Amino acid sequence: MKIVSVGNKDRQGVVGQVVRAIRLGKLTALPTETVYGACVDACNQESVMRLLAYKRRPLGKPFSVFVADTKMAERYVVLNKTARNLYKSFLPGPLTVVSRGRHRVAAGVESETGTLGVRISSSWLITSVVKNIGRPITATSANKSYERRPYKITDFDLKEFGLVVDAGRLPANEPSTVVDTTADDLVVLRQGNASVGTGNSVLSRSEEDTKNIAKELWQKYEKSIRKRTVVFALEGQMGTGKTIFAKGLAKAMGVSGEVVSPTFQLEMVYEARHDNTRLKLIHVDAWRMETAGELARLGFEQRVSEGSVVVVEWADRVAEEIREYEEEAVIVWVRIEYGKDKDERKIFWEVREQ
Amino acid sequence: MIILAIDTSCDETAAAVTSDNLVLSNIVWSQASEHAKFGGVVPNLAKRAHEERISWVVEQAIKRSGVERKKIGAVGVTIGPGLAIALEVGIRQAKNVAGFLNKPLVVVNHIEGHIFSAMARRPVKSGRGTADVNIRFPAWALVVSGGHTELIWVEAPGKYKVAARTLDDALGEALDKGARMLGLGYPGGAVLEKLARRGDPNSYPLPLPMSGQEKRRKFSYSGLKTAMWRLIEKVKESKDALNAEQIENLAAVYQERAFDHLIRVSRAILVSERNEAQDMLCGGGVASNLSLRKKLRVLTKEAGVKLRLPYSARLCGDNAAMIGVAASFKAVEGKFASDIGLVDRNPDWKIDDPVIS
Repeated sequence: MKIVSVGNKDRQGVVGQVVRAIRLGKLTALPTETVYGACVDACNQESVMRLLAYKRRPLGKPFSVFVADTKMAERYVVLNKTARNLYKSFLPGPLTVVSRGRHRVAAGVESETGTLGVRISSSWLITSVVKNIGRPITATSANKSYERRPYKITDFDLKEFGLVVDAGRLPANEPSTVVDTTADDLVVLRQGNASVGTGNSVLSRSEEDTKNIAKELWQKYEKSIRKRTVVFALEGQMGTGKTIFAKGLAKAMGVSGEVVSPTFQLEMVYEARHDNTRLKLIHVDAWRMETAGELARLGFEQRVSEGSVVVVEWADRVAEEIREYEEEAVIVWVRIEYGKDKDERKIFWEVREQ
Repeated sequence: MIILAIDTSCDETAAAVTSDNLVLSNIVWSQASEHAKFGGVVPNLAKRAHEERISWVVEQAIKRSGVERKKIGAVGVTIGPGLAIALEVGIRQAKNVAGFLNKPLVVVNHIEGHIFSAMARRPVKSGRGTADVNIRFPAWALVVSGGHTELIWVEAPGKYKVAARTLDDALGEALDKGARMLGLGYPGGAVLEKLARRGDPNSYPLPLPMSGQEKRRKFSYSGLKTAMWRLIEKVKESKDALNAEQIENLAAVYQERAFDHLIRVSRAILVSERNEAQDMLCGGGVASNLSLRKKLRVLTKEAGVKLRLPYSARLCGDNAAMIGVAASFKAVEGKFASDIGLVDRNPDWKIDDPVIS
């Protein structure tokens, strides 16, 4: 493993080293305008397999890619009108546009349905590297699945990389917004800082997606837990996946045991270890509660003071009590609705800032 | 040995007096209890509610058993799994009584109680005789309740291995939620059972949970709820409400799939692990469901084991008599709490965790 500093005045030298490493099939960590990325040649099957093994995620979950410009994008995906408009208004920038792929990348990069997410970076390093290689490189984050967002090089497993470009601590920007342009309507799959107009709402197409969205929301508010408890107040019809959401949250926090529905027991407590800190996840279910007062009698006040994260299912039944803690805690209201297709869910969230 | 047993693991405030596996009294104060004496308000499910009832419930258990206090040999108490603030109330009471009577304390796992509920015997004075409860170990145990769904390998009393547990909802919870979706109120599992008897379990298509994945040894009811919600929407079409026949049919379909999933996963395990087990103990609130009992009889026959069920529905739901029976096994082996002061709640106590006593 080799670390080069981007502070190095010899920019071309750095680009040259990165291009050589990627051509040799090495796993390379590069700073982007969002987080550190794990970059390999997206057309090299062996490199992609190496990346999959490192990320520890199952086949079937796609990787998005960086291209140099719209022209390069068109060699790998079919751009419809919606996509073209987005490219024009948002790229280069922190937006990933999902289009129908042309199946010219290595297996495991496109999704199972053959779509591919494409980004054009505003970072000179990424763009120069992609231009030099002449092919897209993967744009996934440099951490393993469900681990913390990598804003500095010590946030991920350095020894797994062939080459690391160090740009120090990156500003805590959100990961890119991900939009899918292949459906009839524009669909947001992940909401970062780039807002394409739908506000805080994303589409989940599977239980795995719902867990992943929970993970991303956790990562968004993770930094608050040093100062305040974070409460995830979940609302949604029977069977929309509130417990699934809690499972994703628990996994991201590093809870190792199985998280199950707390409906009967009303409350369950899980311990987690995350970056050498002890975290407590308190999982509450208000389905059997008739009044907000019952949540209070369960000792909610103490829970908010001692827990790092509290997740409340059926929060709409006890909303009054939860709102009492808007000052002490960061309260993330999450609403899950059934979507059009069998497995689809629309997930909305909101934090009322003090 | 005569044991005074206490369980306050969740909603129910329960106390009982048992003599080995003979149930001398079994008092359960549930929210819906006809014994509600504290005003007309249904008590809240919380600490204070248990605190208000516990002394009365314990007194009643002793009084109805006809046992003199000094004949009580030990106090048994549930320390988990359950709701922390509810468990505390029962534990404190058990410590007080044990201290007052100067008797040892036996800590019991709530699930362990459900396992041994099938071994409880009814008092002879009821004139109905005593059932054969000569269970041979090792044995299988199936616990199906509002809070738990576990198939357990019981090597011997005190030695357990969980063969399958739920990934999400418990069976009883899934039935209650299905009932709610059909507008039957809470807790609706029992109403659902009644309506299901009049319905046709094949009237609507509803997918079986994790069909073909029985070998994963997991129960799961989240997908069934989702499918049920979508099915109800479809059956309703544009109308506001379902008619009686639709409700009965939907109840039958839902209950049937929920049970079939339980049976299929259990069968995969029982059949693949044919062994010296001769009995299958079944406990928990859902074990009183007649349609489930029918399916369990077929399963146990096929697996070559004898189905053992509690002698009364009062032993299926949460109760303390089962805790007394479980405690008697420990008492015989001298497994008493070594320091009463150190006994504490264990809300997440898994039955296959190393036994703490």
